[in-house]
Amino acid sequence: MSEPTASTHERSFPPPADLDGLQSKAWIAAGIGIAASLAGWFLDPTQFYRSYLVSWIFWLSVAAGCLAILMLHHLSRGAWGLMIRRVLEAAARTLPFLAILFIPIVLGLEETYVWARPEAAADELIQHKAVYLNRTAFVFRTVVYLGVWSFFAYGLSRLSLRQDRTGDATLFRRMQVISAPGLGIYCLLTTFAAVDWLMSLDPHWYSSLFGVYFLGGQGIAALAFVILVALYLAQREPMAGAFNAGHFHDYGKLLLAFVMLWTYFAISQLLIIWSADLPEEITWYLERAHGGWKWVSILLVLFHFLLPFLLLLSSDLKRNAKALGKVALLLLAMRWFDVFWLAAPSFEHGHLSFHWLDLATLVGLGGIWLALFLGQLKTRSLVPVNDPYLVEALDNE
Amino acid sequence: MTAPGKPPIVAPGHTPGSVTDQISSIVLTRMPRWWWAAFGASFALVMMLLYALTKLVFEGTGIWGLNIPVGWGFAIINFVWWIGIGHAGTLISAILLLLRQEWRTSINRFAEAMTLFAVACAGLFPLIHVGRPWLAYWLLPYPNTMDIWPQFRSPLVWDVFAVTTYATVSLLFWYVGLVPDLATLRDRARQRLAKITYGFLSMGWRGSATHWHNYETAYLLLAGLATPLVVSVHTVVSFDFAVGQLPGWHATIFPPYFVAGAIFAGFAMVITLAVPLRTLFDLKDFITIRHLQNMGKVMLATGLIVAYGYVIEIFMAWYSGNWFEEFMILNRIQGPYRMQWYALLLCNVLAPQLLWIKRVRSTPALLFVVAMFVNVGMWLERFVIVVTSLHRDFLPSSWGMYAGTRWDWAIFVGSIGLFLALLFLFIRFLPMISIFEMRTIVPKTQAREPDEVSP
Repeated sequence: MSEPTASTHERSFPPPADLDGLQSKAWIAAGIGIAASLAGWFLDPTQFYRSYLVSWIFWLSVAAGCLAILMLHHLSRGAWGLMIRRVLEAAARTLPFLAILFIPIVLGLEETYVWARPEAAADELIQHKAVYLNRTAFVFRTVVYLGVWSFFAYGLSRLSLRQDRTGDATLFRRMQVISAPGLGIYCLLTTFAAVDWLMSLDPHWYSSLFGVYFLGGQGIAALAFVILVALYLAQREPMAGAFNAGHFHDYGKLLLAFVMLWTYFAISQLLIIWSADLPEEITWYLERAHGGWKWVSILLVLFHFLLPFLLLLSSDLKRNAKALGKVALLLLAMRWFDVFWLAAPSFEHGHLSFHWLDLATLVGLGGIWLALFLGQLKTRSLVPVNDPYLVEALDNE
Repeated sequence: MTAPGKPPIVAPGHTPGSVTDQISSIVLTRMPRWWWAAFGASFALVMMLLYALTKLVFEGTGIWGLNIPVGWGFAIINFVWWIGIGHAGTLISAILLLLRQEWRTSINRFAEAMTLFAVACAGLFPLIHVGRPWLAYWLLPYPNTMDIWPQFRSPLVWDVFAVTTYATVSLLFWYVGLVPDLATLRDRARQRLAKITYGFLSMGWRGSATHWHNYETAYLLLAGLATPLVVSVHTVVSFDFAVGQLPGWHATIFPPYFVAGAIFAGFAMVITLAVPLRTLFDLKDFITIRHLQNMGKVMLATGLIVAYGYVIEIFMAWYSGNWFEEFMILNRIQGPYRMQWYALLLCNVLAPQLLWIKRVRSTPALLFVVAMFVNVGMWLERFVIVVTSLHRDFLPSSWGMYAGTRWDWAIFVGSIGLFLALLFLFIRFLPMISIFEMRTIVPKTQAREPDEVSP
């Protein structure tokens, strides 16, 4: 079993040269976004930190979600993930950089998190949670989350690269063996990350489904992003001949599954809390049903669930890469609205308002993140050329 | 596609003819002596069930251990336990079919039968729990002179719809899948009565291209219909608890955690049945180690989700800062029912961790032992949820204790007897493995054989 097999595929898949141009554009966007964000920081630091948190969580969801999908791919041994494995790996390898980008959130902790403010000492309920919700523990946990995720991201990436070089048939199994506990640990850590970063914005509120809901959203964010990258690559050599309708069909199905999963979690949480109508729980939904937030809630129902769900039912649409790309773009935008909807009503208990800093930080962080992602993507063959399933993956209808 | 080093899904050396012979001969020849003994024993339990039910109808639910505050006892525990077990069949048949997992083929038939019998056992409990089962039709909305309607906002009513839909679709799915095999049995049967019965049930199947075309369409449609039901039934069951305000019941994690628990329990029961059956009827060529390994993996994955549910429940009880939530968890850990809670952790969290080891997954006896732990553990889980949450709620003055009486136990054990008796009859009269689906995968698996065994 351990005998090394020679490269089974004579085709090679070097990254297209266009990626350099795209990366430059991403850096330019990053520069503009950061400049605007810095200006915003001088004008309104509180708003800056709040917008920054939402943008950071949004981009982190994409990167961390890619790690989860990568592990799911290794676990299921499916041919579906081979064509996008390098995209997933590249996105997952950005996680340590996202850890560095977390620093501004720590600096502005009092601006965003009620429990970090001095007046929290007067709140009995927050005092009860102070063992868990305090600055040191919060930062420590975030370092652990991102550290463990990065460990898995780089571990799997390294083995995948070695598979390219040596064609060692045992690596396939090793990546699977790592991914099994990896995915479990990932889900557990992400749950607590969701509690820390988002749920604790309203430190009185709790819901045991919250972590799972956040996980479902990450799956959508990652898949939507991957579909867009796959669409971009499929329009250029060398991947133009490699991707076919069957691949996009599979990604579309997976995206549909995650849309349904996310909706299932959202409805379950709403129904249970609405039905029990407990004062400590229902307030969270009341905030999201008043002061204009109702419209964001409706937006999510219509465009995070209903429209993508109906569109993704069609197999013609899933097999059409461009049409699927449009749905993916819509869902990616909705992911931002969902994170915004989870976070922002807890900052200001009042009216819905968008701030230009929401956009500036999103573009600034997004530019940095995309540039880092493209930098990672450029370093390797776009397809793991020595994987035992490659022939099957390329033939996938 | 078989990965390098994986055992095949059909043992080498089979032809479509040998598959048909071996599976249909189980039904068409005399049953071995052990079958009579086992069927007799389960039938005796059914008699006990009937006796206990008669007693119950005559005397009322007072013969049970129910009291105030514990108004939900064995009946609900058993209902949830059975309905959970009834989830694996449809998951294997519908979802694995849509995911194009060919290994499902040899286990889907009896897993579906198991689902039907488990749902039948489950359905029994709410009916007798209402106390006056002859009025159980009041659960259904129908125009009546009393002008009384069920409370549509109550998940208990949704349950009626969810479970009856599930039972109907599962039955149809199972029966449609049986039709081609019933025709095979019709053609092979020697006795006149068998020929007529199988001929009647096979609805004139002649195996023409049109028949097959219609069959495939119907089967896929039913699979699509059945898939959401796998999730919806146990979600509604979890709502029975979660929409209330009782700590220990009211938790938003309940829907996904219940669904995972149901699949966990269902696969445990499939393994519990598959391991002895493949030995007793010499079906090791069809229900191979590969099947057992895969089922072991599904059990491990769903078991981890269930364990996740336990962790989050405990964490949130503390994090909520809610006095009653915290007390509920402490009462589980330290209260009078702590032994049940520890046993539950042993069965549902610790025992399944053995499945990480490949040797355990590929040794039928060990897998059987783990599955038995899970069967017990999932019953205990429902006991802990139902009883420990109810027996000490908000007011210490209304606390109480609960224990099942012998009638509770008689009905529970009797329902296991009913399940087994139905299963033995199924094995006797219908092919427990889908003959024609096995025939379709034989050429593929056999063609690949030389690559796999080559040194």
